[in-house]
Amino acid sequence: MPANRPNQGNFDEILGRALRRHSEPVPADFTERMLRQARELDEKRIISRVIWQGRLALAGTILLGVAAIVGIVALPGRIGAVLRSVGVGFTDRGGALLDRFPQAVGAVRNEWQLYAVLAVLVGFAVYFFLDMLLSDRARMA
Amino acid sequence: MVDGMWEQHGEDNRLRLLCSGDHEAFTWFVDKYKETVFLCCRRLGLREDEVEDVASETFMAAYKGLSRYSGRSELSTWLWSIAYRKGIDCLRRNRREWQLEDEQENEIAAGREDGPTVVTEGKETEQVVWGAVERLPRLWKVAVILHYREEKGIADIAKIMDTRENTVKTYLFRGRQKLREMLSEAVGEDCNAGK
Repeated sequence: MPANRPNQGNFDEILGRALRRHSEPVPADFTERMLRQARELDEKRIISRVIWQGRLALAGTILLGVAAIVGIVALPGRIGAVLRSVGVGFTDRGGALLDRFPQAVGAVRNEWQLYAVLAVLVGFAVYFFLDMLLSDRARMA
Repeated sequence: MVDGMWEQHGEDNRLRLLCSGDHEAFTWFVDKYKETVFLCCRRLGLREDEVEDVASETFMAAYKGLSRYSGRSELSTWLWSIAYRKGIDCLRRNRREWQLEDEQENEIAAGREDGPTVVTEGKETEQVVWGAVERLPRLWKVAVILHYREEKGIADIAKIMDTRENTVKTYLFRGRQKLREMLSEAVGEDCNAGK
């Protein structure tokens, strides 16, 4: 098919040359306008990110507070036991770490709901901290 | 000044900066491709007030999507496909008729009424050729421009126009045939030599 061989023959050459020479009119300030829009878009992105971080922080704070209140009111014995076992784990310097591992797994399995809430809260705190650190660095770069 | 800076950068580095959202790289990108985007919008038959809007939308969509640009296709092919899609969306949004077959028949009929283009003294061949291309139906026109001006292959054109390769071949074959017909008197022997 001739369309597959654009550069064969004078007609194709004339056509290609004429089309390539054409210059399309563009408004003079178009690039500046695009750059302005790109900057506005970046600002909107940063603002939206900050708003979401604020919302997450607020939600985390509320969740933590509610979890603490519910824990203290509804499950004072369990909370006490968990905190004691965590405290013992940290302060028991004499025991080998590997010996204590099965014990720790057992404790987590027994109280998994509470540990899950704790894990979510710690994960959120780590994410929030890293995000702040990295986005600040990106902005400075 | 910007050009001078860019000469020091390799193509890969330039692309990397562009994809990371660098504003100077974006300025280079807009400067390089703005004519192409305006060309696409106008050839699709958008009104002049729509052309600027669609061109802006195209560059903003590209700016948002550059971080996800995989480099699988050429940057110009990728941008053309955005511009083409935005242009078609604009035509559809404004409820303008988008019935290709009818439109092509009508436009071809109009072209026949005009008769072959005649070169008048002082008129550049390029202008005559461009004028003839302008009289083609819009999809043929876009395919012809992509193939002969932008030097895109059939597969790339099919990707840009979101259609099958055979359809692109048909557009090009018919477009070329129609152009040859319209330009036979304009470029005379030069044109016929390619037959």
